[in-house]
Amino acid sequence: MPALLAENVTAGYGRTPIITDISLSVEKGTVTTIIGPNGAGKSTFAKAVVGILRPTNGRIVVGDLDITRMPGHQIPRHGVAYVPQNDNVFKSLTVRENLEVGGFAVKGDTSARMEEILSVFTDLDKAREKKAGFLSGGQQNLLAIARALMVGPSVIVLDEPTAGLSPAYTDVVWNQVERIAASGTGVLVVEQNVERALHHAHFVHIFVAGSNHVHGLASEIASLDLAAIFLGRAEANRS
Amino acid sequence: MSAFWYYVFTLVFFLFDYFILAMGLNIQYGETGILNFAYIGFVAVGAYITGVTGMPSSAGTGQQYILGWGLPFPINLILGGLTASALALVVALIALRRLRTDYLAVVLISLSLVLYDVINNYVPLFNGADGLYNVPEPLAGFFKLTTNSFVPFFAMLTGVVAVIMWWVMSRITKAPLGRTLRAIRDDDGVAATLGKSVFRYKLTSMLIGSFYAGVGGGLIIQFGGSFNPTAWLPGETFVVFAVILVGGVGNNIGLLVGALLVETLLIHLPAFLPSIPGHPGLIEYIDTMVVGVLLMVMLWFRPQGVVPERIRRSPFTLAKRSGQTLDDRAVVVPVAPVEITTAVGQETTNG
Repeated sequence: MPALLAENVTAGYGRTPIITDISLSVEKGTVTTIIGPNGAGKSTFAKAVVGILRPTNGRIVVGDLDITRMPGHQIPRHGVAYVPQNDNVFKSLTVRENLEVGGFAVKGDTSARMEEILSVFTDLDKAREKKAGFLSGGQQNLLAIARALMVGPSVIVLDEPTAGLSPAYTDVVWNQVERIAASGTGVLVVEQNVERALHHAHFVHIFVAGSNHVHGLASEIASLDLAAIFLGRAEANRS
Repeated sequence: MSAFWYYVFTLVFFLFDYFILAMGLNIQYGETGILNFAYIGFVAVGAYITGVTGMPSSAGTGQQYILGWGLPFPINLILGGLTASALALVVALIALRRLRTDYLAVVLISLSLVLYDVINNYVPLFNGADGLYNVPEPLAGFFKLTTNSFVPFFAMLTGVVAVIMWWVMSRITKAPLGRTLRAIRDDDGVAATLGKSVFRYKLTSMLIGSFYAGVGGGLIIQFGGSFNPTAWLPGETFVVFAVILVGGVGNNIGLLVGALLVETLLIHLPAFLPSIPGHPGLIEYIDTMVVGVLLMVMLWFRPQGVVPERIRRSPFTLAKRSGQTLDDRAVVVPVAPVEITTAVGQETTNG
């Protein structure tokens, strides 16, 4: 059973569909990335998965639970965590408070979980009483990821977690993403950097003009003419 | 009691009362980010309901007003607070769910104007433009207080109410609820992705803040014995905003400082100064200008206020800093990276 299964999902803003008939699955313990040109609907799909947008068609299943019609604020309680693209931390709260807010959907004491997470995110541990607004962009992204882990997710959806980061910090973030997957969580990453996506992911989906144009193992996708696919010139549908 | 002490206790009353009002607006704006430009309207509703539920029936009083239940203090005061909260509930259910902060602010300022016009013109409600007067002095009969001794008594009583409400508000802002409200203030979209019902939390903030507004208003009408629409012109909301912006948004102690600087020293103290010869009332206008300039200066040079919002440290960090033994929460559970050694299959259905 996949950690996340999306079947024939259509969603958009208002009555205009941005993505149509998208299907994909995220297995436990793997990194799946979605790449594609700007406006392809990558972030829209991520928002539909986590309940920010309600799909007009199709269904989204986490484990064996259908979350398609579930209110967005209830979805994290069922093991789905989301890290938005920009401005993804609470800047006036400290690192610790950000993590506490992240764990608020979990019943019981979350302090042990927080210590566990901070032991992995050592940069954040040193800055635990600093306001998040004073962290660097990379640290803020790490904090957003760490906060998402507070609910002990079975699936985590990351929307361009390395956007605007230095190459060094991009490595740090991707290393953490791989560690998260290695712990058994299904990771779905929306990524602009094709090279990184192919390097770190197990599976890759290429969205073009709102549809899941090509998908497969990262090693297989790497051998394709991606420029042609991105420009919509290649009919490379495959499974 | 000399005139001097009368003025002093009047200032003390307004210090404590605006501290209560500032706490109410602070949880809405300072903690949750709701720009409630109708705040003074909730203060007025609290004042009027406290008044009409504490006053006897209007028959033979020369006034027109609803209710007239003659309830004792503090029951009428609590009813005033609850009615302000009930109004907030109605407003929130209509406006808060669908509107973002700036649009909500426009709706709320409109609400304030509508409220003002209705109460000012519909006389049977709260006696129209004349307002309510001869409002009973609470507990004056019980303690056999004269008009003079009532002023210091009620100023101190307001202080006691303010301390109780400060204690309650501190508990709220230090609790997970307060942290969640601040998270919503920073980014309600992100907060929603973490399992928070943003509307429910904003509604809670509106209800709590409006209760404080209603109680603050109720104390004003009982202190002065009268209340009419000139006491709550829509612009008065910005005086309460000035209190929290000057004192320090998100800091309860800062609110007391703001109430002292803005409401007590700038608004009420000059009102007791002798008039400028040939220019009666000029001081009050200068007063308003000074508050406006102070607001601009603070926003430009010290937007965090005189007493900034403080970082709330955890017991863990405090223990670490003082060199004490750490409790169980300090135990670190390492996460060992696990190598993925097997290929994992994946099903896809879209082609």
